[in-house]
Amino acid sequence: MNVTTLFDTPAAASPPIDGALTIAGLSKDFTVGGRSLPVLDGIDLVVRPGEFVSIVGPSGCGKSTLLRLVAGLDTDFAGEIRLDGKRITGTDLDRGLIFQDHRLFPWMTLEENVGLALLNSSIPKAQRARIVAEHIALLNLAGFEKAYPHQLSGGMAQRGAIARALVTEPKLLLLDEPLGALDALTRIHVQTELQRIWLRQRSTMLMVTHDVEEAVYLSDRVIIMGAKPGRIRRIVDIDLPHPRERSLPQLHRLRDEILAELIQPVPTPGEPENLVRLPVREAM
Amino acid sequence: MTSNLSRIGFGLAPLVALLLLWQAASAAGLFPPQVLVAPADVVAALLAMWRNGELVAHLSISLTRLLIGFGLGAAAGLAFGTALALSRLAEALFGPLFQALRQVPVLAFLPMLVLLLGIEERFKIVVVAIAAFFPVALAAFDGVRGVPRSHFEVAKLYRTPLLPFLGRILLPAATPPVLTGLRIGLTRAWLVLIACELLAAGSGIGQMMEMARQLFRIDVVLAGVFVSGLIGFLLDRGVKLIERRTLRWKAA
Ligand SMILES: Nc1ncnc2c1ncn2[C@@H]1O[C@H](COP(=O)(O)OP(=O)(O)OP(=O)(O)O)[C@@H](O)[C@H]1O
Ligand SMILES: [Mg+2]
Repeated sequence: MNVTTLFDTPAAASPPIDGALTIAGLSKDFTVGGRSLPVLDGIDLVVRPGEFVSIVGPSGCGKSTLLRLVAGLDTDFAGEIRLDGKRITGTDLDRGLIFQDHRLFPWMTLEENVGLALLNSSIPKAQRARIVAEHIALLNLAGFEKAYPHQLSGGMAQRGAIARALVTEPKLLLLDEPLGALDALTRIHVQTELQRIWLRQRSTMLMVTHDVEEAVYLSDRVIIMGAKPGRIRRIVDIDLPHPRERSLPQLHRLRDEILAELIQPVPTPGEPENLVRLPVREAM
Repeated sequence: MTSNLSRIGFGLAPLVALLLLWQAASAAGLFPPQVLVAPADVVAALLAMWRNGELVAHLSISLTRLLIGFGLGAAAGLAFGTALALSRLAEALFGPLFQALRQVPVLAFLPMLVLLLGIEERFKIVVVAIAAFFPVALAAFDGVRGVPRSHFEVAKLYRTPLLPFLGRILLPAATPPVLTGLRIGLTRAWLVLIACELLAAGSGIGQMMEMARQLFRIDVVLAGVFVSGLIGFLLDRGVKLIERRTLRWKAA
């Protein structure tokens, strides 16, 4: 089944998969040196089931913070985050998070690292080994099951982290610059793999990246964030079918447009912003 | 293989040189022969004591003391250091006292401990336990405190149950510094035990040396020096071997 046709059908036709993320009025402050520092301010966002959304924005604008809140690693915030209507109050295996660094445990083999994610899952013990092996193979790591992280290359370790995040089959996968540490060539490889997996599993993806080209290549929508405090400046639709040709001229045009927007000085508050809003197609 | 052998040969060269120098000095008669005995005499003394069972008897007594004292001290150190690392309250309460006491050389406790405990068996075991306690407690504290926040976050993300979290994440993460602490504690305990036996004991390697000194049997004293050095070396190597075995996952 083609995922893009799914997106083109109205939500009223009851989407066959779940993983709808709703963020409403989300604000987050950190206390630094006794002073309260606003990091996220009034974030509203709806991500449809099976959608691939990327977030780009200047360093320090709160992208990682936003993902950590959605993952449930940090529950101290104002506003609401819901997954399929259920309020997020902590971590859960229905949401996966891939960090910028692979965070595999150095004393565990690859298969032990991936298997760790299943310790608290409802999957019967007898099936776990098979599922772990499948996901290792899915990321082209077959043959390295018994390797320790230091025996893997950077790209392989990062693919291992992706396998660990996928093994619980989360409805929503959060990716925090998952390919940031990779060289250009490996990066393109893993991007292609990520897209292949996404088209196969059709889970919702929310990915932070610094690479605008990567964002437009993979995503249905790209969110441009502004800093101080972090908020959504603009949302750009990438209305092209998947899988895409990298050389597509539309992709290049969109990339340039987003880059221009990122370089633009931050508009002063109060001034009307050039907000391109998505037609309201919310799932609920 | 060859390079391994040549490396061992390299390490042994100064030892052989020292022995030759020693042999030459005693042959030249630089010191009275009762004071600087020849290496050959030391070897003879060692062999004689080995054959009549004296060496084994003293050695097993010393090693038993080490085992009991180190076992108690290391266990207490592990528990104390871990508690201090995990509980802010425990750290606030006992941290300063611990940091102050660990600066005191163990031998400085001896006069007071002799008064309190006498010079019997329990005295030596307590001293050995104290010697082991501080480095192990410090290593356990640093080891558990040093577990990066990212490890805790991954466990939280996958909702790892408590037991696998302790056994498969926290323990391995803290193991490298703790093993180093155990190794330092063990060799330090051995040093302090020999010193104690030299000062006050009815048996053990140190006492054997002290008795020999009083009888002007410097060959036996030097045999004791050799044996205590060898044991210390083997203990250090033994724990290092365990470290290498358990930490195979570390990059070479
Ligand atoms: N635990 C924390 N305590 C205090 N301030 C924090 C904490 N974590 C993040 N911040 C602050 O929040 C802001 C946003 O951080 P965040 O890591 O979310 O940025 P980011 O958009 O992911 O940046 P980058 O692109 O560089 O990764 C920064 O100003 C940072 O200093
Ligand atoms: Mg970040």
